[in-house]
Amino acid sequence: MDITFNNVSYIYQAKTPFEHKAIADLSLFIPSGSFTAVIGHTGSGKSTLIQHLNGLVRPTKGEVIIGDYHLTQDQKPDELKSLRSRVGVVFQYPEHQLFEETVKKDIAFGPHNFGVPQAEINKRIEQLTPVVGLSDELLERSPFDLSGGQMRRVAIAGVLATEPEVLVLDEPTAGLDPRGQREMMDMFYNLHHQEGMTTILVTHSMEDAVKYADNVVILNDGTKYMEGKPEEVLTQRDALHKVQLDVPEMVQFINKFSEQFGYDIPYRRQSPAELASDIRQILKGGLTNE
Amino acid sequence: MNNMLIIGQYVPGNSLVHRLDPRTKMTVIFFFVFIVFLANTVISYSVLTAFALASMITTRIPIRFILKGLTPVWFLIGFTFILHLIVTNQGTVLVDIFGFSIYSGAIIQGFAISMRFFLLILVTSLLTLTTTPIEITDGIEDMLHPLKKIRFPVHELALMMSISLRFIPTLMQETEKISRAQASRGVDFRTGPLKERMKAVVPLLVPLFVSAFKRAEELAMAMEARGYQGGEGRTKLRELKLEKRDLLIFLLFILTTAALFFTRSY
Repeated sequence: MDITFNNVSYIYQAKTPFEHKAIADLSLFIPSGSFTAVIGHTGSGKSTLIQHLNGLVRPTKGEVIIGDYHLTQDQKPDELKSLRSRVGVVFQYPEHQLFEETVKKDIAFGPHNFGVPQAEINKRIEQLTPVVGLSDELLERSPFDLSGGQMRRVAIAGVLATEPEVLVLDEPTAGLDPRGQREMMDMFYNLHHQEGMTTILVTHSMEDAVKYADNVVILNDGTKYMEGKPEEVLTQRDALHKVQLDVPEMVQFINKFSEQFGYDIPYRRQSPAELASDIRQILKGGLTNE
Repeated sequence: MNNMLIIGQYVPGNSLVHRLDPRTKMTVIFFFVFIVFLANTVISYSVLTAFALASMITTRIPIRFILKGLTPVWFLIGFTFILHLIVTNQGTVLVDIFGFSIYSGAIIQGFAISMRFFLLILVTSLLTLTTTPIEITDGIEDMLHPLKKIRFPVHELALMMSISLRFIPTLMQETEKISRAQASRGVDFRTGPLKERMKAVVPLLVPLFVSAFKRAEELAMAMEARGYQGGEGRTKLRELKLEKRDLLIFLLFILTTAALFFTRSY
């Protein structure tokens, strides 16, 4: 499902002393099947943007189009539930949403609400548990007996079990250890490719954006500040510094390298290993040239 | 979520009313609540209304915001008025509608009671609009101080109050966050049969309680880690002090009360 924002504004508590504009005149296009990273400083409107994606809030002004669903101030789609079954949202610290007696029941909660038959739910759970890295014996345990990382996996399985076409991830790796972070992001990346899910990742991490996304949106003060391919957007150091963001470490290294040694390495999202071989090339070339 | 109700919400400001000592505000409002019931003539009501409106204007909070925030209360006031129209039968009959007679006394009575209601709620909401919860608990703790002599746990009570007040916004945020997450998982809190909606509360309440207990434990630990051991010998960051303006307000209030006694009929 393509996602389009047309001049969307959203105001909290309008006409009170607490009035606060979270999104101002935002226009966006997220193509179906893309992996889009949304980056922005705290309070840049990321969370509000996410809430528009499955109709939790409606724009004060403008229009949000998700597939066939139109969201505006006056009209809400009658099929809010069907929209929510097709757009899955993994909120920040999703483990806070667990409540059932057993892990299995909690994972089944979403699909059950969306009317998926029990047999189908069981099948999905069976497939999902290895994907999110849970073992089968945990399924009958209480989710509150699990470790933080396991709880997070259960919560994510609960969202994935509805088999959404669009998956929205709000800092899904916050508070995990580095290895857990990598595993989780790799899992989302694989799912994105295998299931062809449109993925929207809200993150602070430039590294994640560069590694996984093919489309980057930078928000500042509720408006779109930059948009484009990661290698184009995330290399503009001065523009990013203006909104308290930094270029990815790899770009920092390349910049430093060219300052120190006068060799420009073109940035094309290479991995550290690829960069090393680039440098080896330069060294060899440099030696033979002189 | 709760965009409509303003009772209990604090609006920051620097007006005279904001800067008054919380004890002054609470004392004045405490007595105001009593004297509202003494008013029984048009002039005596006007005296009280003038006092309430003057305080409201002095806060410099947009009047439209205050009045709109009282929306749920308007219904109550309207309801009281209509109830009085129906049940009171003093004075002369003014009109007859569908067998119901509306008496002149009913209209007067209805107005009087609704006015009382309005004044009470306006003045008490001014307290919370202009006073931070911390100031209120500090004030209460100070005013209840004499009760310590009879072993009443004043400090503990005040601490409990300030902690619960402090966590109201946190819990509201938490509620909103969890209800968003569950709504995304297909829970419908707003429509559907009553039984279904009651059931929909479970996925909201369980996580809320879990996090509230966790938070309480963490708070207790953090307090102990910082050496908290009860109110004994504890000093205050903000000492409450009565200023000239507090005396002025007391004086004004006494004058208002005197005016009320002169203008009411016996």
